[in-house]
Amino acid sequence: MFKRLMQLLNREQRSKSVAKSRLQLILVQDRTGIDEEIMESLQTELTEVLSKYFILEREQVEMELEREQDSMALVANIPVLGTKVRHPAQA
Amino acid sequence: MGKVIVVTSGKGGVGKSTSTANLGTALAVSGKKVVVVDADVGLRNLDVIMGLESRVVYTSMDVLEGVCELEQALVKDRRTKDLYLLAASQRNNKSDIQPEQMKKLCLELKETHDYVLVDSPAGIEQGFQNAAAGADEALIVTTPEVAAVRDADRIIGLLQNMTIKNLHLIINRLAPEMVKAGDMMEPTDVIEILSVNLIGVIPEDREILISTNRGMPSTYNHKSDAGQAYKRVAQRLEGEDVPIPEFKAGGLFGNWFGKLFNS
Repeated sequence: MFKRLMQLLNREQRSKSVAKSRLQLILVQDRTGIDEEIMESLQTELTEVLSKYFILEREQVEMELEREQDSMALVANIPVLGTKVRHPAQA
Repeated sequence: MGKVIVVTSGKGGVGKSTSTANLGTALAVSGKKVVVVDADVGLRNLDVIMGLESRVVYTSMDVLEGVCELEQALVKDRRTKDLYLLAASQRNNKSDIQPEQMKKLCLELKETHDYVLVDSPAGIEQGFQNAAAGADEALIVTTPEVAAVRDADRIIGLLQNMTIKNLHLIINRLAPEMVKAGDMMEPTDVIEILSVNLIGVIPEDREILISTNRGMPSTYNHKSDAGQAYKRVAQRLEGEDVPIPEFKAGGLFGNWFGKLFNS
């Protein structure tokens, strides 16, 4: 949301790029019925679960629905700083 | 046996009827037997764009009601051999025709014609459903605008659900100067978003309005860039390998743009 707002405010960015990124977002919502709010809560919950096992760089987590031809993918970029799971041998 | 191609877009005003008229004319000029069908019941305009409005006697509704034979309802275009128009009724509603009836009509027409081009009304309701009912293939017309591309995406989804194979995209009204300035999406951007086969790019061209004023499709005008682009689309429909030229400001269509801004 913030990223998009910045893009819209950024006068350096040409309107073509704004049109394209707005369209990509609109179409994911049109095609799946999943809007930004749902994506945000999904990201929060997923991060919670993953945090039990990993030390995450929470501010850097990115999650997006992408579509190619007939298939769709949930693409996530989750930077891991370390693990919270102890190796059995160390136990 | 010919093929039925529905020309559709979702959004109104992007150039469906203009595309239908020009492609129909281009295909007929190249020697094919063509009928263009106006499926916009209640709001017909293909007759006007083709310049045949004064010669329409019967409509598809008359054929379905048994008032006349199908052959009688086909308006012959006197400028080009083997080009016909089947007009839509102006006094009926879109719900007065059922998809099954339209399908039967298309089947009958493709027995005697190489191409049956069905001009769909805007929207995704019954008018569109009727227009697409008998289609073997679809031409989706869009412009490089957010709203038009969004609607095209919706229409593509619906056509895929109707199991219509061979979807072709026409990007209409491309303004090279705006693309160059970074203020208009390029064909590659639109294709990336819609993931559908691109069959042609039609440049913005003032000749389109002039030819519509005259009731003379731009295809007849050798000086019209849009008309010539439609000719190339017709060749590609015929399976010819005609590359899509790169529309550069000051390049292939620079003359046109110079004219626009100097006048």
